[in-house]
Amino acid sequence: MRNNIMKILSVLLIIGLINACGKGEKENSSGKVEITFWHGMMASSVPALNDLIKKFEELHPHIKVSAQTIPNGDAGIQKIMTSLQSKTTPDVSWIYADYMEDLVLSDAIYPMDEFINGENGITKEDLEDIYQSLRTYASWKGTLYSLPMEATNLALIYNKDMFKAAGLDPEKPPKTWDELYEFSKKLTLDKNKDGNFEQVGFFVPVFPSSGSRNGWMVWQFRPFIWQAGGEIIEADQSKVIFDSKEAVSALSLWQKLFKEQKLSTFTSDFDMAFVSKQLAMAMDGPWSLPRYKDLMKNLNWAFAPLPAGPAKQATIVGGEYLAIFKQSKHPQEAWEFIKWIISPEAQAQWAMSSGYLPIRRAVAKIPEFQKYLSENPNYKVFVDQMEVGQAERSIDYGGMQITRYLGEAIEHVTLGDGDPKAELNKSAAKSNKLLKEHKK
Amino acid sequence: MLFTKNKKYNSIIGKGEALSAIGFLSPTLIIFGTFILFPVIFSFYLSFQKWNSFSWSGSFIGLENYIRMFQSEEFWLVLKNTAIYTIGTVPLNMIISLLVAYGLNKKLAGKKFLRTLFFAPVVVSPVAAALIWRWLYDPNFGLVNYTLGIFGVSPINWLNDPNAAMFALIGMGVWKTFGYNMVLFAAGLNAIPDSYYEAATLDGAGAWSKFWHITIPLLSPTTFFILVMSMIGSFQVFDIVYILTSGGPLGSTKVLVFYVYEYAFKFNGEMGYASAISYFLFAILFILTMAQIKFLKTKVLG
Repeated sequence: MRNNIMKILSVLLIIGLINACGKGEKENSSGKVEITFWHGMMASSVPALNDLIKKFEELHPHIKVSAQTIPNGDAGIQKIMTSLQSKTTPDVSWIYADYMEDLVLSDAIYPMDEFINGENGITKEDLEDIYQSLRTYASWKGTLYSLPMEATNLALIYNKDMFKAAGLDPEKPPKTWDELYEFSKKLTLDKNKDGNFEQVGFFVPVFPSSGSRNGWMVWQFRPFIWQAGGEIIEADQSKVIFDSKEAVSALSLWQKLFKEQKLSTFTSDFDMAFVSKQLAMAMDGPWSLPRYKDLMKNLNWAFAPLPAGPAKQATIVGGEYLAIFKQSKHPQEAWEFIKWIISPEAQAQWAMSSGYLPIRRAVAKIPEFQKYLSENPNYKVFVDQMEVGQAERSIDYGGMQITRYLGEAIEHVTLGDGDPKAELNKSAAKSNKLLKEHKK
Repeated sequence: MLFTKNKKYNSIIGKGEALSAIGFLSPTLIIFGTFILFPVIFSFYLSFQKWNSFSWSGSFIGLENYIRMFQSEEFWLVLKNTAIYTIGTVPLNMIISLLVAYGLNKKLAGKKFLRTLFFAPVVVSPVAAALIWRWLYDPNFGLVNYTLGIFGVSPINWLNDPNAAMFALIGMGVWKTFGYNMVLFAAGLNAIPDSYYEAATLDGAGAWSKFWHITIPLLSPTTFFILVMSMIGSFQVFDIVYILTSGGPLGSTKVLVFYVYEYAFKFNGEMGYASAISYFLFAILFILTMAQIKFLKTKVLG
């Protein structure tokens, strides 16, 4: 008898264990709908995000948003991949354009049109108020699959005191490529004449192309291609064109700056170098502003727009994009959340508390935000730059590999002894082979 | 005991015992099956498939993954890097750990403390350790360059120079693992009877000839075990590469497991190709270990 009882108990125990691994019910007793929201926000921005969510919940008492931090970049997408397989996706999540193709092809996320044109939708004017560059980036093959939550772009940070010391006007940051090169030269100093530079003019962000910062490097290189008048890929996606003479001139500039300033023996933590007065200029985004207030309080620094290239002035626009997963049990509530996040009021609150840029022009009409702009001139540089901001022309197929190939070219001409034209040709040939194979 | 008289009932108990045995074993069986057995078999199956992990279905492509691997230029570079890393770390690691273990085998004040100190890197999380080493190797702010600077060596960008990065990696790899081998060597040294040394002393042997003629030969089973395990470990190195160099610069530190990771999780989930490489790695390790056993067995244990 005892044996049988033990048998039954052990079986029950196992069943219990298996059941415990299952998913709990999401509806809680108060009748509220709970939606999960995954994001890769930096820890310093999480309090601001919580405030934003609290405001949303006040306005929408029947919805509860449970926000969870997931790792940024590669590790984040792995988490999303796993959740897709185990049917535990969030309702709403940050997604990355590089993986849009996979998410769409595996039917994981909703096209946004279903909600935008639905009963609880938004107007065409509302949609078009969002910067075109962001909408492009949120789409795959011309269809919106996500909506931006915030915008960023890239500007130039420089140390005014170093400008003064080098005989440059601290109120006149470089406006062209030529000035960027010329100023960098003047700001690169070998003070004790030992052959090594104690101060470097301009930081060129070069990282291993096989590493997690490759995308980051290529992202910062893209505006230089545009400034020269080039593009990454043909509009019809038939082939990449980053081997054009415009792109070659952009890479040559990077190579010249990198090699002449001996950046191969310079730290890759440019902000530390900037703070410790070893660096005069670098590229950086608005996400750094809250941190710099403290970190750089002993420095005399400012932001300025990126210098214009031979063709035009340009910067790269980025952002975080929200998508709704098809596994969601509450897509309508998830949409309600996104719809509110992109509203001018929420955008103004979010921009001022997080330091990100608003995703739409209407925010600038809010008086509170106007006041904020006049008090924060460095932040204003970024907002103004949105007008010349360009989105990456999305690469519909093989975006990850093509970004890698371009990164390899940058790595080979800076850390190695490659020639810009030859390396870009090599990378473009590899990319085009990939695109052709995909077309088959 | 109570029921053994009844034959019929007895057989029922036999069945019941088997059932309860399965019941008690099942937690282990389920965990082993799900997390060890299933992945091993499934990845073998995957190595003949083209499968992106976003979808449920893959397609059978035969040996294409393996053929592609052998034709890839990058694959051979990666294999070469892995071999360099192994050749760089394993002997260095063994020499250092043997010397430290030998030194600490003597009567010495603070022996236990030193042993703990040398063993500490083994226990430290590899990611945390690699982050610290990234700082040590920083060209501007790092302690390594600072120390070298005192001796007039101009700054080296350890992690961004294709000629230096592998050395940086080997340096950290040795630091991270020699403590473990040190403990094994220490155990081996303790197992050598003192009487051998006494006899040698009576015969007038010096410290060096005692080390060479007694310690080394009697330690060889331990040495052999450490050699095999270290080679397996260094062929599978990943975490410190991932944090320290990410396989760069110019692919100079890209090793096999990092290459697997890239294809499995970065390039839109090429699970099939990644599985094929994994099985190739398994084959290399299997052959290497077998060869080592065959060649050394006669010498060491025979």
